[in-house]
Amino acid sequence: MKIVVCIKQVPATGADKRYTDDLTLDRTSVDAIINPLDEYAIEQALRLADAGTADSVTYLSMGPDQAAEALRRALAMGGDDAVLITDAALAGADEWATAKVLAAALDKLAPDVALMGMASDDARGSLVPGAVAAMRNVPLLSYGSELAIDGDAARVRRLSATGFDWITAPLPVVATVTDQVGEPRYASLKGIMAAKRKPLETWGVADIGLSADDLNGAALTVVTDARPPEEKAPTERIENLPATEAATKIADWLAARKLI
Amino acid sequence: MSNDILFLAEFAAGTPARSALELATGAAELASQSGGSAIGLAYGAGASEGAAALGAHGAARAIVLGNEDRPAITYAPALVAAARDAGLALLAPATPNGRDLAAAVVGSLHVPAFGPVRAVRIADGVVESEQATLQGSVVTTSRPADGAPSPSIVLVLANTFTPAEGGTGSAEVSPAPAAEESALARATVAESHEAEAKVVNLEEATIIVAGGRGVASEEGFAPLRALAEVLGGAVGASRAAADAGWIPYQLQIGQTGKVVKPALYIGAGISGAIQHRVGMQTAEHVVAINKDPDAPIGEFADLFVVGDLFQIIPALTEEIRRRKGA
Repeated sequence: MKIVVCIKQVPATGADKRYTDDLTLDRTSVDAIINPLDEYAIEQALRLADAGTADSVTYLSMGPDQAAEALRRALAMGGDDAVLITDAALAGADEWATAKVLAAALDKLAPDVALMGMASDDARGSLVPGAVAAMRNVPLLSYGSELAIDGDAARVRRLSATGFDWITAPLPVVATVTDQVGEPRYASLKGIMAAKRKPLETWGVADIGLSADDLNGAALTVVTDARPPEEKAPTERIENLPATEAATKIADWLAARKLI
Repeated sequence: MSNDILFLAEFAAGTPARSALELATGAAELASQSGGSAIGLAYGAGASEGAAALGAHGAARAIVLGNEDRPAITYAPALVAAARDAGLALLAPATPNGRDLAAAVVGSLHVPAFGPVRAVRIADGVVESEQATLQGSVVTTSRPADGAPSPSIVLVLANTFTPAEGGTGSAEVSPAPAAEESALARATVAESHEAEAKVVNLEEATIIVAGGRGVASEEGFAPLRALAEVLGGAVGASRAAADAGWIPYQLQIGQTGKVVKPALYIGAGISGAIQHRVGMQTAEHVVAINKDPDAPIGEFADLFVVGDLFQIIPALTEEIRRRKGA
């Protein structure tokens, strides 16, 4: 059973993030990390490898050259090898183009489970996993707080409106996991040393059978404007008051806004 | 290409989700700008019987994708067949099910996707959307690339549109066109576990009283519940409170929980870490109660009350009860 974990390098939480003049995210001048929610996908894959359920764990990322650092960091946590898709044709890729590239790379790697985090820090759509599943015509098992393999099927434990379900589908699948799978392990010094010797291949779009034309300039969407959010009114503060007086002030504030 | 505006309408146990009513109204608003009709794409238990009633909220037509209680993603093949060349935009709720189905359309029809959006309009015959990205530090305006196929997918947070009430219209209901075979239909529910206590759908609440680490225990949520009750709202939590087992995960707000957009959010004993903030920052009014005067939530709340939540919340509950009784 082979797992490919798709990971994304993102600007560090709290880093000074900005758009470049061509209205794409500046991915080269900021501190970068593995998307924190992808670390849970890595942890889930490594747990399946530790249990002997997964025979191999490969990492796949699309990004600029320096995204290789994220792959090395993942390899330091565990796993076998990694592939970086990097190509000038991919600058400014949107979710559709990202899905198209990952789907083509996954066709080549042919895993039983393509595993991803539930969302990325720097975009909020969470559309890539489902789009990849549709492009590859494989089932999607999403938002799992646990992923389990039973022979030739996979299943995820997923919150329902009132409890939880186990949802199952035949392999191969695309699966996503949440931050409930368990805390990601730290890379040990031994792991960091071992990671330097693990295979890391770099592919361009031609290596996965795509051309720049297939990618429509890397996007079906265009950003026409990027700006800071509107200045909000300064925070009003209530402090150093007895509880009853504070409560009266809060109630007045709510009443003035017709909230009570 | 038609100028119609499609929207996803999820049904469960015979009734439409509130998102279906909100999106019916939103789709009708956009359809009036595009010169088309609002068309509901209804799925889930009760969709067949309930689809016509979407007309009361703005839908001119409704297409029933299926009427069974099964994983939402298995409706993707029918949805793709119904959405193909069918309209200018497809509005989907920014919920796990809505995102999964929207993604399947993006991957199947190779159409552009936007959102979750802060605002959306039709300009020059295409969808123009505004979204906050990079954890709220940048606001962008986006449009489909020239020549990109339709419909554009638009993810919409709960409470972005207010359902039109009092309508008497009835949507014309039709079945979905024949769907292609797809592996997406192969997911099934193997086991279903119901919680003992009923939990509300936080995305639908217009007032939320949320508790965090400062609430300190399961019992500590009792005063928050009393305040929520007198306000007619619901109780939510930060991840810390859900991880501690004080409250079910269905009530967690944040990047990995629910993304909410209530008219009023009151956060008690919540520091305001970025992961929580991205789940509630679009609330119209934010009140924070925290004993730490330097808590990060104080930087983005509209009203920041420094003090002990176990004294202030009962006093506030009492004050509001007194005013409502008057």
